[in-house]
Amino acid sequence: MLSQYFGTGTILYSPSVSGWEEAVDRVTQPLVSLGSIRTEYVDAIKKAIVSPGGTYIDLGYQIALAHARPEMGVVKTSLSVLHLAQPFLLADSPEHPISTLFCLAAESSERHLELMKELASLLSDAQWRQQIESVSTEEELRCVFTKEESVS
Amino acid sequence: MKFLSVCSTGLGSSFITQLNVEKALKQLGVQGVETDHSDLGSVSQGDADVIVVGRDIAEAASGLGDVIVLNSLIDMNEITQKVSAALERHGIAVPEKEQKQ
Repeated sequence: MLSQYFGTGTILYSPSVSGWEEAVDRVTQPLVSLGSIRTEYVDAIKKAIVSPGGTYIDLGYQIALAHARPEMGVVKTSLSVLHLAQPFLLADSPEHPISTLFCLAAESSERHLELMKELASLLSDAQWRQQIESVSTEEELRCVFTKEESVS
Repeated sequence: MKFLSVCSTGLGSSFITQLNVEKALKQLGVQGVETDHSDLGSVSQGDADVIVVGRDIAEAASGLGDVIVLNSLIDMNEITQKVSAALERHGIAVPEKEQKQ
């Protein structure tokens, strides 16, 4: 199940952030603390976002998947998420408002494959997307990820 | 017939897209179509019949042949519709075409 990839403190809720860089800092911080990624990985994500076409991590529906290559500093396959009441602009682009930012740290492994399958099926589920839009506390956000376990 | 989903790192977004293309093919009742994902830097024209990208790298991918540009990588309606159209362009029968998602 998807929630097994979330370590302690990796599901975050915040009313707002000052901009996309703070959003990336916030969502990656728990993974750095847990030792799942090194700080180089955070820098690689930021560098990717400002480079041409870097907003490709915007999946649609105000959901973005921040990630970089495994060799850029991934120690352990893991996932974190930051949900915001007020969207920020990815790469300061008005075309890319984001209210749910995932950080994906993937080793090239079977675990990554499983994680991506579960994430893809969740994110492509219109009902689930509606649920996450209505979240207004960290507790509710956690429920959105744990509840899907009991249903599926 | 092969669909290749492409993003900048060839890891997260393109993989999600590939999985959703597979889901679309299943919904459309089409079998025997190959799917894969890759990073933009290592794709060249002729690697696949159809290249699938998000709008942000559409320009960079424009020289790669038949390119599907997605506004959202997780909108199954959009993906199914554009995959269906691509299959028809390539002469593949789509059994479940009329079925609404």
